[in-house]
Amino acid sequence: MIAERHNRESEAFASLSRASKFYGEFAALKDVSIDLVPGEVHMLLGENGAGKSTLVSLLTGVNALDEGERRIRGKSTPVLTPTESRKAGINAVLQDFSLSPALTVEENFVLAREPRKGIFLDRAEARRLTQGALDQIGLTVSPKQRVSTLGRAEQQMLEIARALGGEPGLIILDEPTSSLSHEETERLFSVLRGLRDAGWALLYISHRMDEIRRLGDVVTILRDGLRTGHYRIADVTNEQMVADMVGRDIGSFYPEIPHHPDALVLETDSLSSDGKFSDVSIELKRGEIVGIGGLVGCGKGDLARALFGLLPIDDGSFVLDGEPVADLTPVDMLDRGLVYLPQDRGGEALALNRSISDNIVLEILDNQESKWLGFIRQQHLNHIVDSLLQRLNVQPPLPKKIVGELSGGNQQKVVLGRALSKARKVIVCDEPTSGIDVGARAEFYRQLAHVCEEGAAVLLVTSDLQELINVSHRIYVMSEGRVVAHLARDEITEEKVVAYAFGEEVQKETD
Amino acid sequence: MNQTRASSGHTLSSSKQLASSILRFGALPIVLIVCVVVFQLGNDRFLSSMNVMNMTTQSMFLLLIALGQMIVLISGGFDLSVGAVVALTSIITGKVMVAVAAMYPESVGIAITLGFMAAIGVGLVCGLINGIGVAILKVNPFIVTLATASIFQGITLVVSKGVQVSGLPRYFVIEIGSGRIGNVPVIAILALPVCFCVYLIIHHMRIGRYLYAIGSNLKSAVVSGIRVDRHLIFAYVSCSVLTAFAGWLLTARVSSGEPLLGGEFPLASIAAAIIGGCSLRGGEGTVVGVIMGVAFITILGNGMDLMRIGSNYQMIVLGIVLIAAVVVDRYRASLGVR
Repeated sequence: MIAERHNRESEAFASLSRASKFYGEFAALKDVSIDLVPGEVHMLLGENGAGKSTLVSLLTGVNALDEGERRIRGKSTPVLTPTESRKAGINAVLQDFSLSPALTVEENFVLAREPRKGIFLDRAEARRLTQGALDQIGLTVSPKQRVSTLGRAEQQMLEIARALGGEPGLIILDEPTSSLSHEETERLFSVLRGLRDAGWALLYISHRMDEIRRLGDVVTILRDGLRTGHYRIADVTNEQMVADMVGRDIGSFYPEIPHHPDALVLETDSLSSDGKFSDVSIELKRGEIVGIGGLVGCGKGDLARALFGLLPIDDGSFVLDGEPVADLTPVDMLDRGLVYLPQDRGGEALALNRSISDNIVLEILDNQESKWLGFIRQQHLNHIVDSLLQRLNVQPPLPKKIVGELSGGNQQKVVLGRALSKARKVIVCDEPTSGIDVGARAEFYRQLAHVCEEGAAVLLVTSDLQELINVSHRIYVMSEGRVVAHLARDEITEEKVVAYAFGEEVQKETD
Repeated sequence: MNQTRASSGHTLSSSKQLASSILRFGALPIVLIVCVVVFQLGNDRFLSSMNVMNMTTQSMFLLLIALGQMIVLISGGFDLSVGAVVALTSIITGKVMVAVAAMYPESVGIAITLGFMAAIGVGLVCGLINGIGVAILKVNPFIVTLATASIFQGITLVVSKGVQVSGLPRYFVIEIGSGRIGNVPVIAILALPVCFCVYLIIHHMRIGRYLYAIGSNLKSAVVSGIRVDRHLIFAYVSCSVLTAFAGWLLTARVSSGEPLLGGEFPLASIAAAIIGGCSLRGGEGTVVGVIMGVAFITILGNGMDLMRIGSNYQMIVLGIVLIAAVVVDRYRASLGVR
C-alpha cells in the first residue's frame, strides 16, 4: 500500500476521504479514500457491484456523500451538483454516452455553451472551437456530420474532446475500450497519455489487466464497497490485484478445454452478405470452440447475426448438420439447434422488466412437457429454472427476481441459461463477456467448456484478444469482411492474430 | 463481510419490492375504499343494491375494452380505435339484427345469433387491419390506430347515414340489455366468462408469456425465436374482438344502433389499464390490476353522478386522473427496473 497519503492528498485535484454512501442499510461504499493527482492515470478496479459507479457518482455530484469528505482543488466541497462538478473541471465519459445522436458533431460539441453574437448563434466560432478540439485529439470527422453516423469509438473520442478546453481537470472514463478495436484503443491511449502529460488527472475504470499495466500509474481496488487494495502499478502483481478484487482464488482463469472434435456440424462455403462480409468459408465440429477474431467492424459480428438469420445471406452456401440452410429466420435456426447470444444483453437478449424465470423459459414453453391442454405447467418450468440457476451459479438464485436488477455478469448467465434450457447443436456467442466482471467471466468460460464437452459446438466471436487465444481451439481471423487466416491451436499467438487482423500488408512486414 | 452485505442487500431489495407492490396494487385498493367511503357519505344511495347492480352493468363494457387494451399495452402498443370499433359494431349488428328479424320474425334467436357473429366479424376485421398495420407494415401503433379510428368511424357514418338503427329485436333489448338472472345482470353473465378467458390466456398460456416478452423487449423476443408478427396481430385482433363484443352488449343496453356510440372508450380504457398497472412502455399489466382500474373509473364516474357533478366536470377529472396514473407509472418504473 502507498504510505505517503498526506502528500498525495495535498497535491490531489480531487479526493475523497473515508467516504461512505448508504442505500438504506446497504453500504454501496464504505470508508473509501482516493486521491486523483494531476499528471497521473489512476486505475479503478473492481467487480460489478463493488462500488465503482458509486465512487464516480460522488465525484460527479450525482450522489451526495453520507459520510466522509470530498475535496476539489484542495477545497472541502460537501455539496456538489453535477453542473458544479462539470464547471469545476470534472468530466465523466461513461458507458451510456451523453451525446444527442440527431445533432451534428459541432452542435454536440458546443451544446449548452454555444458561442453567440448578441442573441444569435455564432456558427463560425462554434466551428472553430470544434475543429480545434478535434485536431487536438486527432479525430478526423467533419463537424457537420450527424453524431448518429459516427462509430462508437468516434463518439467516445468526441465525448473526450468535449471535456477538453479550459484548465486541466479530471477525466473519468468507464471501460472506454470495451467496444474499441485494437487500433482505436491505441489512439485513445496516446490521447490519454497526452492529457496526463498536460497535467490532467485521469480516473480509468477497467476490467482488463493489460490495460491497467500499460496505462496506469496507480490503482485502487474495490470489493463490496470497501477499498481492498491501493498500489503503484509498478509494485504489484496481476495475481495480487485479482485476489484483492475477487476476495477468493478463482482458480485458473481460462479453463483447460480438451479438444475432441467430432462430426462436422456447421459449414459455410463462400458465404456473403452485401456490404457486411464476403466469401466466408468456415467449418465447425461438435465438441470444439472456434474463435472468430478481428477488429471491430471486420464483419465478425455480422457473420454471427447472418448465421442466426438476423441478416440476409446473399451468396454462398451454409450447411447446418448436413442440411442446407437458405432464407431462414431465427425461429427456424432455433428449431434446427443453433442458438445466438447477442452482444447487447439489455438491448437484444433480455426482457429487463421481467423475471429471471420468464426470461429463461421463453424457448421451452413450446415443449410438450411444458404444457397441459395449452396451459403452462409452471411447476415443471420451475424445476428447470432452479436447476439452471444452480448450475450457472446465478446470484441471487431467485427465479422471480427482475432481470434488470441483476449485475451484468448475472444477466449474461440468464442469457446463457436460456441457451442451455434446450439441447443445442451450435451456440454462437457474440462478445459474450464484454462488460462483465472477472469472476463471472471465469464462470462463463467454465460453462462453455462444459457444453463443449457435452458435444455442442461453440462459435466464439470476440474482440477480446486474450479470450480469443485462450478459450478457442481454432481461430478464424477476419479483416474487412473476409476471413484472412485460419489458425490451429498450436499456431495461435497473439502477434499472428493481431497481424492478420490488421490485414495482409502488415502481415508481410512482420514476416 | 460477504454475509452482511448479502443480507442487507436482501432487505433492501425486499423493501423495494414492498414499495413497488404497494404502488402496483396496494395503493389502488386503498384509493378504491376511500372513494367508496367518500361517495357513500356524500349520498347514501351509493351502496344501495340497485346502484351496485347498475355500476356492475355499466362497468362491463369498459372492463371488456380495457382488457383488450391491456393485451395491446402488454405487447408494447396501444389501440386508439376502440371507440370507432364500438360505433361500427353498433351500426353493423343493429342493421344485421333488424334485417334478419324482418326475415324470420318468428325465431328471434337467429337474429341475435347472427348479430353476435356480425359483432365478432367486425372485431376480427378491424383487429386484423390494426394488427397488419403494426406488425407487417411496421407503422407506429399511434398512427395506425388513429388512422383506423377515422376510417372505422367514417364507415360507420356512411353506412348509417348518421342516423341510429332503431327497431332492434325486443328480446335482445329487454333480456340481454336490461335482463337479470336471479339478481345478476345478463350483461355481466355474458361478459365475465370472457374476462376469465382473457385471464387464462394472458397468465396461463404461452401466448401471454410471448406478449410480455415482445412488449418488454422486441429484439430479445426475435432472438428468442418468438414469432413476433403473428402474436402482435393476435393482440390487436383480441382487443378489437373484445371491443366489438362490448359494443354489441352496449347496443342492447342503449336499445338502438348508435353511430356515435363509444367515443369515451379510447381514453377511458387506456386510463383504466394504466391505473391498473399496465405500462406505456409495454411488458407490464395484469388482469386483476385492470379489473381494479375499471372499478376505480366506474366508481369515480358513478359517485360523481350521484353527487350531481356534471359530465363536463367529470371529463376534467378523468384527464387529471390519467396524467396522475402515468406519473405513478413512471415512478414505479424508476423503482422497478433501475
